[in-house]
Amino acid sequence: MPRLDRLPEASRKAVLGLPVKVNDTAPFVRPARPLAACRVALVTTAGLHRRADRPFTPGEQGYRVIPSSTPAADIVQSHTSIGFDRTAILRDLNVTFPIERLRELAGDRVIGGLAPNHYSFMGALRDVATLEGESGPDVARRLRDDGAEVALLTPT
Amino acid sequence: MLARVIEAHGIATTSISLVREHTEKLRPPRALFVPFPFGHALGRPNDPELQHRVLTAALDLLAAPAGPVLADLPEDAEPGDETPAPVQASAVPTAGGVTGDAVAETKDVLRAHARWLADNDGRTIFGLSGIPVDRFPEVVDTLQRFAAGGDGNVSGRPADVPLPAFIRWAADDLKSLYWESCLLARPNVTGTDVARWFWGETAAGQVLRRVRDRLDASDDPAWKAAAFGVAR
Repeated sequence: MPRLDRLPEASRKAVLGLPVKVNDTAPFVRPARPLAACRVALVTTAGLHRRADRPFTPGEQGYRVIPSSTPAADIVQSHTSIGFDRTAILRDLNVTFPIERLRELAGDRVIGGLAPNHYSFMGALRDVATLEGESGPDVARRLRDDGAEVALLTPT
Repeated sequence: MLARVIEAHGIATTSISLVREHTEKLRPPRALFVPFPFGHALGRPNDPELQHRVLTAALDLLAAPAGPVLADLPEDAEPGDETPAPVQASAVPTAGGVTGDAVAETKDVLRAHARWLADNDGRTIFGLSGIPVDRFPEVVDTLQRFAAGGDGNVSGRPADVPLPAFIRWAADDLKSLYWESCLLARPNVTGTDVARWFWGETAAGQVLRRVRDRLDASDDPAWKAAAFGVAR
């Protein structure tokens, strides 16, 4: 799921009511190196950030930086919604932000390593113009400067 | 959309998708549709094997010669992985009224929460309001007074945070403390049952209902927005 036919009616309507841009093609680049040599960054739209950071406000299109060295205990989520079950992330951060799983993959040399920083945006955005025109490109440039070769995007 | 922006800057992306219908339209460069509920992008909490299968399937898409690529995780959700109907305060009756002392109750919850921290390497979602956890009985007292017309001010509130945002984040923090203490006491409890317990049986839930009512009675859109957030 949420296969939409398995969602409660109210949730299905809320999801289908979100504006979605229709694209015919996609930008596409092949990773320059084998995955086992690539540095991977996480980019999440789950409203996560360090506890010391200012929480996201609903609809905010900015981002927060989560350095790779951040302990899981310092990561919080300011996106709360009845649209998703919070008990999952309370029990295990990796269900949305798989930082420990990526560390394991780096240890097993499946990926080259973790990029120095990960990035987080707020979820459930209706207006994404600033994200598309400013904060998104800003994060893309930062990822490049960080030496990230692959970005894994996770929703909530 | 974000994946497309990042890819356009020369970084290969792979995305986990929870809504296939949206992903089909948006066409990110590479996406793995997973059959899990919202809040469960990697499958299930504390199931590293499943999380690794999801990760591997998402990373495997990087080998595709051309795109966009939309693949499906080659396994289905299990029964019990359904997204439950949303539960907010207004949907939960308070059987016979809840008359407990919210401040005393919060002190008990803090004792349980200390054990949650000890059992979880210090992991907690608490910490949006900037007020330390040991001051939350005082925060609850302030919220009670706010609901009855008080100013809602707590010493130590960050100077640049407006009152309605502060109240929203303090309410979120209070809910986090109760949610996590409930998970400690009932490890297999569902999110729906935690919400029903909080809004239906705890004194703190009743305080937040009254806080919501005061915020919602305001004409100020920022207060109304905070009311919406507090009561769910």
